[in-house]
Amino acid sequence: MDTHTRKERLIGVVMLCAGLVYLVMTMNLPRKGFIDAAFVPYVLAFILCLLGVLQLMNSRKPANAGKPAEADDGEKVPADYPTVLKTLGLIVLYTALLSTVGFPIMTALYLYAQFIVLTPAGQKVNHIGYAVIAVVASLVIYYIFRHGFDLLLPSGFLDI
Amino acid sequence: MLELLQHGFSAVFSIQILILITLGVGVGIIFGAVPGLTAVMAIALSLPLTYSMGPAAGLSLLVALYIGATSGGLISAILLKIPGTPSSIATTFDGGPMMEKGEGVKALGAGIVFSFLGTIASIAALMFIAPWLAKVALRFGPHEYFAIAIFSLTLIATLSTGSMIKGLFSGVLGFVFATVGIAPVDAIRRFTFDIPNLNSGFEILTVLVGVFAISEIIKVAESVRAERKAQVGSVSMKDIKGFGFSLKEFFGQLPNSIRSAFIGIGIGILPGVGAGTSNIVSYIVAKKRSKHPEKFGTGVIDGVVASETANNAGIGGAMIPLLTLGIPGDAVTAILLGGFMIHGIQPGPMLFMSQGDLVYTIFAALILAALMMLVLEFYGLRIFIKLLAVPKHILLPIILVLCVVGAFGLSSRIFDIWTILVFGLVGYGFVKGGIPAAPFIIGFILGPMAETNLRRGLMLSDGNFMGFLSNPIAGGFILLAVASVAWHLFNALRHRKDGVVELLRS
Repeated sequence: MDTHTRKERLIGVVMLCAGLVYLVMTMNLPRKGFIDAAFVPYVLAFILCLLGVLQLMNSRKPANAGKPAEADDGEKVPADYPTVLKTLGLIVLYTALLSTVGFPIMTALYLYAQFIVLTPAGQKVNHIGYAVIAVVASLVIYYIFRHGFDLLLPSGFLDI
Repeated sequence: MLELLQHGFSAVFSIQILILITLGVGVGIIFGAVPGLTAVMAIALSLPLTYSMGPAAGLSLLVALYIGATSGGLISAILLKIPGTPSSIATTFDGGPMMEKGEGVKALGAGIVFSFLGTIASIAALMFIAPWLAKVALRFGPHEYFAIAIFSLTLIATLSTGSMIKGLFSGVLGFVFATVGIAPVDAIRRFTFDIPNLNSGFEILTVLVGVFAISEIIKVAESVRAERKAQVGSVSMKDIKGFGFSLKEFFGQLPNSIRSAFIGIGIGILPGVGAGTSNIVSYIVAKKRSKHPEKFGTGVIDGVVASETANNAGIGGAMIPLLTLGIPGDAVTAILLGGFMIHGIQPGPMLFMSQGDLVYTIFAALILAALMMLVLEFYGLRIFIKLLAVPKHILLPIILVLCVVGAFGLSSRIFDIWTILVFGLVGYGFVKGGIPAAPFIIGFILGPMAETNLRRGLMLSDGNFMGFLSNPIAGGFILLAVASVAWHLFNALRHRKDGVVELLRS
């Protein structure tokens, strides 16, 4: 129950911070009168802050004392954060290099690496199979969209 | 009306569109059936395919995906006892036990047939209610639209799963993200940080793909390495006549299915609550009304029928506010709205006047897709069962690449890929914090609608806020919005939770 309370409090803090950041940004908007482009953002910022405070107040009392099972949304397996971070890193790398390296090469590389990262612990990494799927999928998608649907995916180093 | 519908059918009876509908239903069923893949993903990654198609072809593909994905959830609900989509949660209650009793085919057959009937009933409701509502809505001005937007927002925020504070927060945050870009009416640039790409704000589709597809992929990364291969039950299709259940059983289920269809359509019309809610409600109602409620949960056909009729009946229901007012009821209809807009179609009452033909083409495509679903899902069952076993660590990265292609294809900007990534993280944060994502999307879409109409309405009534309350329709909706929040607050303060709401949230 304690971790649950802490988690709910953290959510409240995040909510309140989001509201405050938005409020500060809104205060920098130019004003032209009471009802102008900043009016609605002020209302929204106020509501966000209010909801953040309400969430913080709510987290102080164990409201769901009778239902501890509800707390963690039934997470059975502990979250595997290293895999999440690796996945995020790969997606960021993929997006960053997409236009310079080009869609076909970058997609094949990304897919190959991502397959390996996500392979279940009990299964063996099938390097040849993964490489084949990655290259084929990348080329098929590239050809279908670039030549079939006229979508100008970046070609990069390869001129195909 | 019949003449218009005839026009619609003649528009969809081309080889190209028939193939698209077949493909759409098939792909939709797969995405509905495989847990972790969603209808939103199916539509998101098929969108770039439609960029170069005509509106009739593009929209036919999108609605076919929608129908396929909504009904596909029953396959895994019955075979794996895992709902493929939230709309099939109640199907597992009796579908699972039926499978264990060896009545798997019967459960699947009944689920598919009544899914079909639910879809058709809701399309009929759509065809009767939508043109009428569009006529009424034609008279709506900024006051009414503002009030309806606020009402829809509060409804989705209070009824969505999780706490009301988090639901409201999610809706308001969606609104906040929608304020980025050039402001309505006086065209001031807001929150753009001098990045030119932000001047037009965030694209609806990038937000949707981020929050619902990318976040899902990140979430799966949490658990995929610990996963073992799912045991898919096998069903024998030998000696199966018709759809695996008798005519007597069919007629016995009719009252149940009619009631469930009404529940599904009614809940589907409400913004913010859709098939994910109606299947549970109709299951509860069927159990209460049944002569043998004690048998529910042990594998009776009634449970499957109630749940599956209701969730598919939500399709036509949810299309009513979408087509007539431009208000999406949930994430799937939100992405449909995005798809419509790509083809230059702005849903709203004017659509029925200016592009009546297209509306009836959509109706015809819906009917055809429903028929295709009936045939394809039952007779192609073996193929879909095989696909349940495709490993996720291969499937998800490819889906991500297709999402990237779709985002890039919107306007050939790498910027849009970064956007889906950012919103993917926002969506993942929501999952971690137990914050519902649907209000965020509805806030993002309805926010600008509310703000623009607030500003316009104030101009019309010379800056007087009373204009919103003295207008009977606008005042009524605002009153309802305030009442719904107040009622929930009152309940929360008294710590007495409403039974149904409690069940929906659990």
